[in-house]
Amino acid sequence: METVLFYLFGAMLLGGAVMTVASRSAVVSAVWLVFAFVSAAGIFALLAAPFLAILQILIYAGAIMVLFLFVIMMLQGPVLPAERERRGLPKLLVLAAPAAAIAVIVIGWLARRGVTAFDGPPVEAGTAARVAELLLNRYLLAFELISVVLLVAIIGALALGRREEDRPWR
Amino acid sequence: MAIGLIHYLALAAALFLVGMAGVTIRRNSLIMLMSIEIMLCAVNIVFAAYSRVHGDLSGHVFVMMNFAVAAAEAAIGLAILVEIHRLRRTVNVDELKTLME
Repeated sequence: METVLFYLFGAMLLGGAVMTVASRSAVVSAVWLVFAFVSAAGIFALLAAPFLAILQILIYAGAIMVLFLFVIMMLQGPVLPAERERRGLPKLLVLAAPAAAIAVIVIGWLARRGVTAFDGPPVEAGTAARVAELLLNRYLLAFELISVVLLVAIIGALALGRREEDRPWR
Repeated sequence: MAIGLIHYLALAAALFLVGMAGVTIRRNSLIMLMSIEIMLCAVNIVFAAYSRVHGDLSGHVFVMMNFAVAAAEAAIGLAILVEIHRLRRTVNVDELKTLME
């Protein structure tokens, strides 16, 4: 069961990523990226990390991609020209395909060598409660610092997004 | 056949390569930013896989840090893109070569 789900989500994830890179239009790219991120959430769920899977969907597929789509819609009015690529689409796919090939070859090679499942101690699932225990004890300082990073990002994005005449430093 | 650490590492490596190809090949800086997100996602999978191997949830904490950094990067990067677009009317990196001239 785990095997089937791994290959299913893995193929969806890689396919979504390749289509993101290969799509001509930025909107199409963004939609494929949402697909890839939802598949990545499935991979996290397989790795006994249900909380990360939910966060992946909420933050990546939700918040970040909505931000991307907003900006694409804002920019893609009359002024964003049809993208002139230096190289054509076929070469793009030629360059993205080796990545998938590497995955298939490595997995196939290891399959013949009989590499088995995870060894080591069986983990408890990374539920919100277990992760929060670590986050708010051992990694409390990092947790506080990352909130400062987010605050700086908010202020920076607001400052960059203002109209030119409104900027206090002009 | 059972799925092990190596499978997840191979998947992450392939995903990282796809993202890297995107940053290298594409000229549209919006899609370049999305490719960076793909690379960050590959790193997150490695963190979660090793977390499972070692039976230690610290990896999950670092993935959460990575989420926060990715969100900050996307917000700032997109704000800079909007500003560049306002000034230069393009997001194509080939046409942004003021420093070169």
